[in-house]
Amino acid sequence: MDPTFEPIIKVEDYTFYYPDSQVPALAGINLTVRPGEFLGLTGPTGAGKTTLALALNGIIPHFQGGRLAGRVTIAGLDTAATPCARLAGVIGSVFQDPEAQLVAETVEDELAFGLENLAVPREEMRARISAALEMVGITDLRHRPLRQLSGGQKQKVAIAAAIALRPRILVLDEPTSELDPRGSLEIVNLLERLNRDYGMTILLIEQKISLLAPRVPRLVCLHQSRIVADAAPRQVLGQEKLVAELGLEVPPVTDLFRLLSRAGVYHGNLPLAVDQGRRELDRLLSHESP
Amino acid sequence: MPARSFLHELNPLTKIAWSLAVITVAFVFQQPLPLLGLWASVLAVALAGKVLKEILPAIRGLLIFAAIFILFQIFLIQEGNTVFTLLPGSGFGRVTDVGLTACTMLALRMLAMTSTIPVLLATTPPKDMIVAFVEKLRVPYVYALMLVTSLRFIPTLQEELGLIIQAQRARACDLESRNIFRRLRAIVPLALPLLLMSVQRARTMAISMETRGFGAGPRTSLRTSTFQTLDLGVIAGCLFLTAALVIIALR
Ligand SMILES: Nc1ncnc2c1ncn2[C@@H]1O[C@H](COP(=O)(O)OP(=O)(O)OP(=O)(O)O)[C@@H](O)[C@H]1O
Ligand SMILES: [Mg+2]
Repeated sequence: MDPTFEPIIKVEDYTFYYPDSQVPALAGINLTVRPGEFLGLTGPTGAGKTTLALALNGIIPHFQGGRLAGRVTIAGLDTAATPCARLAGVIGSVFQDPEAQLVAETVEDELAFGLENLAVPREEMRARISAALEMVGITDLRHRPLRQLSGGQKQKVAIAAAIALRPRILVLDEPTSELDPRGSLEIVNLLERLNRDYGMTILLIEQKISLLAPRVPRLVCLHQSRIVADAAPRQVLGQEKLVAELGLEVPPVTDLFRLLSRAGVYHGNLPLAVDQGRRELDRLLSHESP
Repeated sequence: MPARSFLHELNPLTKIAWSLAVITVAFVFQQPLPLLGLWASVLAVALAGKVLKEILPAIRGLLIFAAIFILFQIFLIQEGNTVFTLLPGSGFGRVTDVGLTACTMLALRMLAMTSTIPVLLATTPPKDMIVAFVEKLRVPYVYALMLVTSLRFIPTLQEELGLIIQAQRARACDLESRNIFRRLRAIVPLALPLLLMSVQRARTMAISMETRGFGAGPRTSLRTSTFQTLDLGVIAGCLFLTAALVIIALR
């Protein structure tokens, strides 16, 4: 079998309870991700998104205890049997709070932190730092103190610090939730580029569907600890009941076309972004007019 | 990056050696005048290192602390001749010449000894401090990192406390009150979320470190801690001066 078709993330019947909790934070999760996929993960607050991210990068069960059943396999490694440090070179993580996840004073030191932990020799460290900064497009920030950077720049540093360890997978837990619209857009565009140009497998947890939907080919929805949808964004957002129940923030343009198709005026694919919508509208109007 | 001054260029341990030299000298002198000179020399070093302005707030804090110290101590010393009395005739609040000298001496000693710390912090990136501790003093990395990251959170916490104070002011809470208890009562309700926030933050930081292989075993370091000729010169100078001053003081 071609190794590239082997799943890089495999979650099998996974259930997890935080200590002293009677309600599972994850219940019967099954998820398979192939190398090079760009996966969106969404769902309301408390659905279990962060918990799933922690289960993937080995924080659960190595750092966060609790009761669990089932299995998570990352690039062939069983996370329960593999130390976090070994997983660090396979799966990189970026978190919500741009401030708290950074440990160093300057950008260069932040990128060095993980490499130092993994005992990378000094010369190679320099080369890897340069490469990661280049990939993220922040070479000019190399010697800047972190406290002078904007939230968006800090998130880029966090992404670069994860990339410097050359992981095959990047998991990002709501990396844009504390950024302004422009900063958010820059981050998702960057992720799209990393996925396209470097074939990096990316799992992006995001509540802002309008950022997610036009970019990811596959959207997974978590609700009350379970996966309730796993399909192309168009199909997921077309399910009115699901959208209403989860309170998903559907992009207004998608909503508009959903109304149009319910009224029988529109029959094509639901557009996910404004430019797609405009094209569809043009087509619709040119058909209408005699 | 060019260093801002010779002080910034020195190895952190050299600066710590200088601090220790100042502390030693401060202990052997018993008169206010040499101690004043010593304190002035610390400030002169800060001036030469172009950080005097930066550390002024810290120096002001130390001065206030010294003043409070004098205020508490000065009435307790009863020997010597009366210089003045707070309530004339009653004998209450008597200040003597012996007390005045002793308190000034102690306050100046404290000032000279503690003023080197802000100079040290202002001229040394925390990362260099970690590297020096770990490589040269063999302090375990975890402890060095703990120390330095907790220092790093101070400005963030200050900023947030500032926000809280503003928020309380907007709700017309009496924060300028002379009554310290009333002020505390205004701040405490909002300080709780601040505390919870920092617990959450510490958790995020720990997780972020864990996912980047922290504690995996032997580690390498991007930077090294080096002693240059300048360091050796400064350490030798400190040793020589300290020895000379100790001899003068004890003779
Ligand atoms: N450290 C913890 N200890 C105990 N329970 C927790 C802990 N972290 C999360 N939970 C609980 O687990 C459930 C899932 O939480 P999780 O953080 O995974 O949700 P989420 O989808 O990431 O939500 P959000 O969008 O708010 O980030 C929630 O009910 C939450 O209260
Ligand atoms: Mg979350």
